[in-house]
Amino acid sequence: MTERVLIIGSGPIVIGQAAEFDYSGTQACLACREAGARTILVNSNPATIQTDPHVADVVYIEPLTVSSLEQIIARERPDGVIATVGGQTGLNLTVALAEAGVLERYNVRILGTGLETIRRGEDRALFAATLEAVGEPILPSRAVTSVQEALQVAAEIGYPVMCRSAYALGGAGSGFATDPSALDDKVSSAQAFSVTGQVLVERSLYGWAELEYEVIRDSQDNCLIVCNMENLDPMGVHTGDSIVVAPSQTLSDDEYHRLRAAAMRVVRALGVEGACNVQFALERSSGDYYVIEVNPRLSRSSALASKATGYPIAKVATRIAVGNSLPQIRNDITGTSAFFEPALDYVVMKIPRWPFDKFKGLDGRIGTSMRSTGEVMAIGRSFEEAMSKALRSIDTPRTVGLAETDLEALLITPNGARLPAMLQAMRAGWEPQRIADLTSIHPWFIDRLATLVREVVPGSPGAYKMVDTCAGEFEARTPYFYRSEMLGGQNEALPLSGPKAIILGAGPIRIGQGIEFDYATVHACLALTKAGVKSIIVNNNPETVSTDYSTSDRLYFEPLDIDAVEAVVRNEGKGLLGVIPQFGGQTAINLVASLQERGIRILGTRPGCIDAAEDRGQASDVLRRAGIPTPPWKTVEHWDDLKRVAAEVGFPVLLRPSYVLSGSGMIVARSVEDVERYLQIHANLPLTQPLLVDKFLEGAVELNVDAVSDGHDMLAVIMEQLDECGVHSGDSAEVYPAQTISPEVLRTVECYTRTIARAFQVVGLVNVQYAVQDDRVYVLEVNPRASRSVPFASKASGIPLADLAVRAILGDRLNELDIPAPRTDRVAVKNVVFPFRVFPGLDPVLGPEMQSTGESMGLGATFGAAYWKAWLGAGLRAVPFGGTVYISAPDEDPRTIDCLMAGLRTVGCRIVVAPGTHSPDASVEVVAPEDVDVSAFGLAIVLGRSRAEIGVLRRAVDARVAGISTRGGLRAMIRALQEGVPDLSLMPTGA
Amino acid sequence: MVAIAQAEGAVDTPMKASSSRPLAATLMLTDGTCFYGRGAGVTGLASGELVFTTAMTGYQEALTDPSYRGQLLMFTYPLIGNYGVSAGRAQSDSLQASGVIVATLSDAGSDQRSLGSYLARHGVPTMHGVDTRAIALWTRRHGAMPGVMSIHQEEHAPSLAILRMMLDACSYDTRDFVAESTVARPEVHGAGSRRVALLDCGNKRSVIDELVRRDTQVIVLPAHTSAADIMALHPAGVVVSNGPGNPECAMHVVETIRELYGTVPLFGICLGHQLLALAAGATTYKLKFGHRGANHPVQDTATGHAFVTTQNHGYAVDADSLPADLLVSHRNLNDDTVEGLRHRTLPIRSVQFHPEGAPGPKDADVLLDEWLGIAA
Repeated sequence: MTERVLIIGSGPIVIGQAAEFDYSGTQACLACREAGARTILVNSNPATIQTDPHVADVVYIEPLTVSSLEQIIARERPDGVIATVGGQTGLNLTVALAEAGVLERYNVRILGTGLETIRRGEDRALFAATLEAVGEPILPSRAVTSVQEALQVAAEIGYPVMCRSAYALGGAGSGFATDPSALDDKVSSAQAFSVTGQVLVERSLYGWAELEYEVIRDSQDNCLIVCNMENLDPMGVHTGDSIVVAPSQTLSDDEYHRLRAAAMRVVRALGVEGACNVQFALERSSGDYYVIEVNPRLSRSSALASKATGYPIAKVATRIAVGNSLPQIRNDITGTSAFFEPALDYVVMKIPRWPFDKFKGLDGRIGTSMRSTGEVMAIGRSFEEAMSKALRSIDTPRTVGLAETDLEALLITPNGARLPAMLQAMRAGWEPQRIADLTSIHPWFIDRLATLVREVVPGSPGAYKMVDTCAGEFEARTPYFYRSEMLGGQNEALPLSGPKAIILGAGPIRIGQGIEFDYATVHACLALTKAGVKSIIVNNNPETVSTDYSTSDRLYFEPLDIDAVEAVVRNEGKGLLGVIPQFGGQTAINLVASLQERGIRILGTRPGCIDAAEDRGQASDVLRRAGIPTPPWKTVEHWDDLKRVAAEVGFPVLLRPSYVLSGSGMIVARSVEDVERYLQIHANLPLTQPLLVDKFLEGAVELNVDAVSDGHDMLAVIMEQLDECGVHSGDSAEVYPAQTISPEVLRTVECYTRTIARAFQVVGLVNVQYAVQDDRVYVLEVNPRASRSVPFASKASGIPLADLAVRAILGDRLNELDIPAPRTDRVAVKNVVFPFRVFPGLDPVLGPEMQSTGESMGLGATFGAAYWKAWLGAGLRAVPFGGTVYISAPDEDPRTIDCLMAGLRTVGCRIVVAPGTHSPDASVEVVAPEDVDVSAFGLAIVLGRSRAEIGVLRRAVDARVAGISTRGGLRAMIRALQEGVPDLSLMPTGA
Repeated sequence: MVAIAQAEGAVDTPMKASSSRPLAATLMLTDGTCFYGRGAGVTGLASGELVFTTAMTGYQEALTDPSYRGQLLMFTYPLIGNYGVSAGRAQSDSLQASGVIVATLSDAGSDQRSLGSYLARHGVPTMHGVDTRAIALWTRRHGAMPGVMSIHQEEHAPSLAILRMMLDACSYDTRDFVAESTVARPEVHGAGSRRVALLDCGNKRSVIDELVRRDTQVIVLPAHTSAADIMALHPAGVVVSNGPGNPECAMHVVETIRELYGTVPLFGICLGHQLLALAAGATTYKLKFGHRGANHPVQDTATGHAFVTTQNHGYAVDADSLPADLLVSHRNLNDDTVEGLRHRTLPIRSVQFHPEGAPGPKDADVLLDEWLGIAA
C-alpha cells in the first residue's frame, strides 16, 4: 500500500476546467485517508475545498509548475502521485514531471492510470494505433503539423472536415472547416493551443448521435460502466456544451450494449487503472459508430455521472490507484460491493451555462470548442420533468417574439439559445418534424419537448425520492434526494430530526458567480455540523463539492427557485431553524424577498437590511446618515439630461450604460466635450435603463473588505486591489495585507466597516468595496453576503470567515469565540484568469463588467515573491525575466516608465516601446503596435486603447504571452520588480 | 398468472393509450396494499408473482423472455417504450409476463413501433402512471409476493373482494411452468460443425443465437424429451435452458438430467443451472425477491475476476447442499449466492446468470466458448 500520495489540483477555474476538479481532488484526498494513506495536495487555486487543511494532510498553494512541484516532491518525498484528478492540468504536469526526470529522481510512482495510458489517450497517432489493434473503429483522420499538410489531408478526406488539437483543454481551438480557407484559419489558431503542435484533420460527422460512457477499471482488469449519457445535440457540439441526458434514452438494449462493450475494450486496450470517459459517434440507421475521444482521467462528465448515479467515481478511482480492487471497495450507500453498475430509476438532465450574457459582443454560437462556464443538473421521473426542472435552474432568459427566420437560424446553427428557441418554435406551433430536421436532434427528444410545451407537468403534491444507485433494490443509506411531482408518489425524505438549517447553494458556475460560492457553501455546512446543527443543502450544480452527498446531512438536488426551496422548507417542517441565503451568491440572495413573503425564516442578516444594502438609493441614505462618504452619483433617464447631470456630479465622471460592451461602453468623462463625444457614439441607442453617472475618483486605490459581524462586533479582512478603480473588483488582482495604505486609513476602513455592519444589522458576512483617494475613504458598494473573495481572504489571513459567519448566524458572539490572529507574517497575492483565449472575437481589456473565470494565489515572504507565484499560479507561461517586453503607454508619467524599465532591466529584460511611449535613452527599439510581433516576447504592457494597441493585447493572448493592460497592474509589477529576481521557494500554508 | 384478458376492440387494431376514455388500473398486494394508476393494453384482470427488474433498456427482450411467465413484471426505470419495438428483439413468439407495470409508457413516435400498441396487440394488461419506486420498495421489504392487477374503465372498477379472491388463488411457486413454456416439437437451428442439444425449459432465442454464432448446430428439444432420445442425436453437449418457475416443479426434467449426468457435457443456464444442481443432489431455495436486472456483479471464485451480468431468477442453489464434486465457480458479490457451478472432473458447467445478455451485457459469454471448447 502506498503511504504518501501527491495529488495535483487543476489550478484556476478556466472554461473547460472548473469546479469538477475540486470535487474530484477532494474526493481523492478523502479516499486516500480512508485507505490509510497520507496526502500532499498542491493547487494554486485558493477557492477550493481541497486546499483546506481538513481535506489533505499537507497543502501547498503553489504554482502548478515543474519547478515548484519538484521542490514539493523533494521536501515531502511522496511514494506516488495521482495524475488523473486534476484535469488536463494535472495530467499534463505529471507527464512533464516524468519527462523532466523528476519522478524517477525522487522515486515517485504514478499511481493508477500511468504514463503510457495517458500518452495513448492523448496522442492521436498512438490512440489510433491502440484502437486499431483491438478492432475499434476510429475516424479516418491524420495528424498534421503544418497548414499545407492539413490542406492536403483535407483534400483526400473531402470537406467538410473537422480539426482538433492534441492535449487541448475543453477542445479549445477545434472546429469544422467547410473549405480550404476556413481550414487555414482553424489550423493556425488551433496550433496556438496545443502543447505538441499536432493538429488532427478528420472526416466530419455532423448529425451523428453522440454518446458517452463512464468506465472504471482496476489493476485486476475488473471493468464496469458507471453511467452512459446521451447528448441531445448531435455530433459537432463539444460534450461540455451539449445538453445531456442520463441514462441514454433512445438507444435500444443492443445499441447500448454494443457501445458499452466497445467502451470496455477501449479502456482495456489503453490500460486505464481508474476512471475513463469514452465518447462515441453513432449513425443510427446503419449502426456504424466511431470512438471519438477518451479522457483517461476524471472529467466534467465523470462528475456529472457521479452526481447522476450516486456512484462516487473519483473516490473509487483513487482507491484503485492506491491498490484496491473494485470487488474490495464498498459502495457506501448500499453496503454492497463497488463492483456493480448503478441502476437509475429517474432521468437526469444537464444544461450548460454559457457566458454569452456577459460577452454581448459574441454571437452565441457553440461548436467543437467548449464555451460554457458551468452547468446545471436536474432529476425527475420523466424526461419532461427533468427538463423543466433544468430549465428552471439554468437562470437564463427564454427567447420570445423572434421572427420566424431568426428562429430558424437559431435552430440550424448550434448556439446557446437553441433550446429556448426550440421551445418557442413549439409554442408557435411548428411541426416537430420540421424542428427535428433543422436541428438534427432525435425526434424522440423533440416529441418530449413538444409535450413539455403542451402540458403542464402534473401538479400533484409531489414527493422526494432517493438517489440510491440501485433503483430501490437494496436498502440504502444516503441523504441524497430529488423531488418529483409525477404520479403523486411516496415521500422518502422524512424530516431530519433535531435542529437543522437549509443552506442555499449558488447554482451553475458563471462569470461573476464562481466556485468561490461553493467554497463558502461547503464551509457553512461544515460549521453547522460542528455547532451541532444538521446541514441541508439545496443546489443544482453537479460539478461541486457542495453537491457531494457526503458533504451535508442532507442534499436536495433541486432548482434554486422559490417553489423548490419552499417545498424543501415545508418538507423539513419542525426543527428547521430557517434558511441561510448569504453563502449562495446573488442567486440565493435574490430568493430572500419571496421566501420572506411566504413566511419562511431567513437566518443571518435580516431581509429588510439585505434589501437596503442592495438598493443603491437606500444604501446611500443609510451611509449618509452614518456619516460615511460615498462618491457623488446621479442617474439619467434621458440623453438630454446627461450634460447637465454630469456637471452637477462634477468632473471627472464615470458613465456606465446598461448595455456595456466588453469595457468599451464605460468611459471616464473629464469634461463636457468628453460627454458630447460619448453622446455622439451612444445617443442613437435607446436608454432602456437609467444611466449611472458616478463621480470618478481619479487615481484612487480600491480596497476590498470581507467582514464577519454578529450585529455588535466585527472582524474585517482588508485587501488592497492592484488594478485601479473602473476595473470590476472581481477582475482585479489583490494583495493581503494591504501594501500601500497608511495605518490611519486602514483604521478608518475598519471603523467604517464596523459602522456599516451595525447600520445594516449584518449577522454573518458582508463585503464592502472602498476607494481611497488622497487618504480620503469612500464606500463604493456594500454586499450583505459572502463575496467571491471569501476563500482568498480566509486563506490569506488565516481567519475562517465563513465558519465564523455561521457561528454568528447561530447566535454566538464573536468576542466569545476563539479566533486566530490575522496572519501578517507573509504576503498573499491574488491573480485572475480570463477566458479571452476561448473567445477570439473579444477585446482582452478590462472594464466594469466582470470577465474573469478564476483566480490563483501566491504566498511569499515578500510582495515580489507572492506576486510572481500568483503570476505562475495563474498559468501564465513563465515569469518574463530575461525576455523581451513590449511597452505601449503613451500617456504614462515618464517617471513611472523609467522605474518600470529600470526594474525590467534588473531582471534581464530587453525592451521594445511603441512610438510616443517615453523612453529614457535612444538605444530602446521602437516598433509600432501595428507591426510588433509579440509572439516570442515575455510580456506586453499596453495601457492605450487604440485598435492597434488592443490588437497587440489580442495577439499576446493568442500566443499565450502575458499582458498588462491597467495602470494598477503596471504599478504592481514595478513594486514586484523592485525586489529583483525573487525567491520562489515554498511557503507552507499551515494554519 | 391467470390472465383473464379482454382485448379492447379487435386484437390486431393498435390502441392508443390516450383514447377518449382513459383506462384505470388497480394493483393489490398480499397485505392489502393497493396502488392505483392508469391502464393500457387491454381491460381485464391479471395475477402473478410481482417482480421488478432494474434493467434500464431491453424491455422488449424482458417481456418476451419465458422466464417472466406467470409474473407481473415491473420496470423500475420510469420511461419504458422510448425506442419502440422491433421483431428482431423478441426472445420468444409471445409476450410472457401476465401483466406489466411501468411508471410512464413512453411513446416511440409511430403506432406500429410503439410499445403501447404492442402490448395491446398481445393482450397484456398494463398499468402505468403509478409510483413504481414505491412498489419496488414494497417488494424489497416484503419479498416477491403474488399481486393482482385490474385494468378497467374508470366506472367499472372491480370490487376489492374480487381482487382479494384472485390474489388468494395465486400460487406461483407450485406450478410447473416448464411444461407450458417448452417447444411442442424439436427445432433445428444453424448448421455449425458441432451439434448441441438444448433442452427447452422456456428458452430465450438469444441463447440459440449465441450458440449458432459459435459454429454450432442447435437442436431445441421439448423439456420432456427422454435422455435416450437426446443421446440418440449424438450431441457434443446438452444445454439446459433458462425458464420460469420453481425448479422443484420440474422434477421430470431433473430426472432426465440425472440420466445424462456424467455421460455427456452439460451446460445449465439460470433455471437450467438450478435443475442441474437438483439432479446432482443439491437443493434450491427461494430468494426474498430474486435478482432481476442487467447490473448484477458476479465473481469467479478461482481467479477473483468480477464481471457484470444479466439476471432473472427468484430461486437459488444452496451452496451447503452441493455434492463434493460440484464446485461453486461463481458467486454474487452483492449477497454471496451461488452464481455458477463447475464439476471437479466432468465437462459440466452451469451459471445462474445469462451469459447471452439480451437484455444486458455479455461480459461472461466467454463461458460459452470455454464449455463448447471442452464439450467438442
